[in-house]
Amino acid sequence: MMSLLHYQFSNYIRTYKYLPPFFIFILCTVVNYAFVPNPILDSYSFTSTLLFLLMGWFTVTIFHAEDEGQKVITILHAKGQNVYFVTLYLICIVIGFCLSCVSVLYPIIIGAFGERPSLWHIILGFLAHFSLSILAIALSAIFTRELVKNRQNSWWGVLSILIISLAIASLKSVILQVKGLLWLLPPVHLSLEMMSSDDSINVIPAGFYWQFIWIFIYSILVIWLYFFILNRKKKM
Amino acid sequence: MNTLMEVQNISKQYKTKKVLDNISFSIYGEEIVALVGKNGSGKSTLLKIIGGIIDSDSGAVTRHVQSLKIGYVPEITPSHVLFTPEEYLFHMGKISGIPRKPLQEKIDQLLEIFNMLEARSTRITHFSKGMKQKIMIMQAMLEETHLLILDEPLSGLDPRAQNELEKTLLSLKEKGYSILLTCHETKLLENLVDRILLIEGSQVKQLESFSEASNQNNQIVFEFPSHKSLDSVLSFIQINQMRTLNNGNQELTVTVKSRDTDKALLALLQHEASIKELMPLNSKKEQFHTHF
Repeated sequence: MMSLLHYQFSNYIRTYKYLPPFFIFILCTVVNYAFVPNPILDSYSFTSTLLFLLMGWFTVTIFHAEDEGQKVITILHAKGQNVYFVTLYLICIVIGFCLSCVSVLYPIIIGAFGERPSLWHIILGFLAHFSLSILAIALSAIFTRELVKNRQNSWWGVLSILIISLAIASLKSVILQVKGLLWLLPPVHLSLEMMSSDDSINVIPAGFYWQFIWIFIYSILVIWLYFFILNRKKKM
Repeated sequence: MNTLMEVQNISKQYKTKKVLDNISFSIYGEEIVALVGKNGSGKSTLLKIIGGIIDSDSGAVTRHVQSLKIGYVPEITPSHVLFTPEEYLFHMGKISGIPRKPLQEKIDQLLEIFNMLEARSTRITHFSKGMKQKIMIMQAMLEETHLLILDEPLSGLDPRAQNELEKTLLSLKEKGYSILLTCHETKLLENLVDRILLIEGSQVKQLESFSEASNQNNQIVFEFPSHKSLDSVLSFIQINQMRTLNNGNQELTVTVKSRDTDKALLALLQHEASIKELMPLNSKKEQFHTHF
């Protein structure tokens, strides 16, 4: 597993496909905090949304980094396709984790906020970034080449699902009219609602933890769906 | 010969199209088996099932050797491998779980066998298709492989690269590897293959290999003084064509069995015949191309 992880990571680094999303992330983060002071949770809300979109880009490039023919060979050496795709998810998660840390710590380090963030702000900020990163990875992977043969459809699919997920936040009142529908749709709106709390928040309400847990559970279910379809396709 | 594996009643269907229907055959140690058939006949599908890449709908592949190791070389040679041969083979070996030291020794050994020592530090993306194909065979041999599966190994290679790869495969055969391959190149089948399996109409049948079936007859073209008698050689030969030349001699084109060729030639030379041409007749080869 570690050898496969090392190989996949080295291969991805050599493709240079990470450069565009990485520089957009750096650029947007720097520009966002160019003027001070900034509100804490609002700023984190913006950067977590940015990371949500960019993680879709990272995910597709990571899943498509290896040559299609080489992928078959690597899976044979790894003795199973599940372990192969688990390592790809792990690389995405590590990138999501690192960029979440940068998003949370960078404004604190440069003193970009109007007030000193509390531990609760930091925890809330990290959970917002990391949960949306995992959700973006899970949603985007569904549209990668294993399940969607046409490359263009992959990109359209990823862009559509990420934008629709964000749009749900503003269409919530309409969606609520169909009972149970909101539970089926990607829960990006939960994170955005939590991050619209006031900066004067002293403690994280217990309900927030449950909402973050639901985002993680939803992501795990989507990842499970990916493996379910993948293994069904192998049998076909 | 020891049996490496048995393919038993394998069937595979893609949507409504049945590609393989109850296919059974055995693969033995130290032999080269070629799967032939028209495009879309199911050759690659069968190789993938044997290699464990896809599952069959029914049937089984029974391995008769404990922990049988199979090396697989896909039809499509990866074009964008961003490593040098040494790095690439090292990564593949590590992923397979081979410890560092024996892996390095194996890589050195493979680079030497495949004449790639000089190119060990050049990125594979800069290689020709033939060299890339060699790397793909090398990765399949990293572990102590019992059976190598090669899907169209010569496909897309120029004649020079084909010759080089043929030599490599011949040396692997001499080293005792069992190889299962698909190919369209008669030359490869002629020089290397022990058994040919034809996939036709979702079924498999064994064809006579060239080594057994070919060269049964030879054709001799010779000039013969018209006053001489051919009686003593008539029992060996079958006359196909006869014409009178301007010098009054006869030119004959005859067919003779391989085993009688030496005797026939000796008799002709003793009767003052002048041999113009001697060539093997390979009617099987002509028939064989109808399978592609």
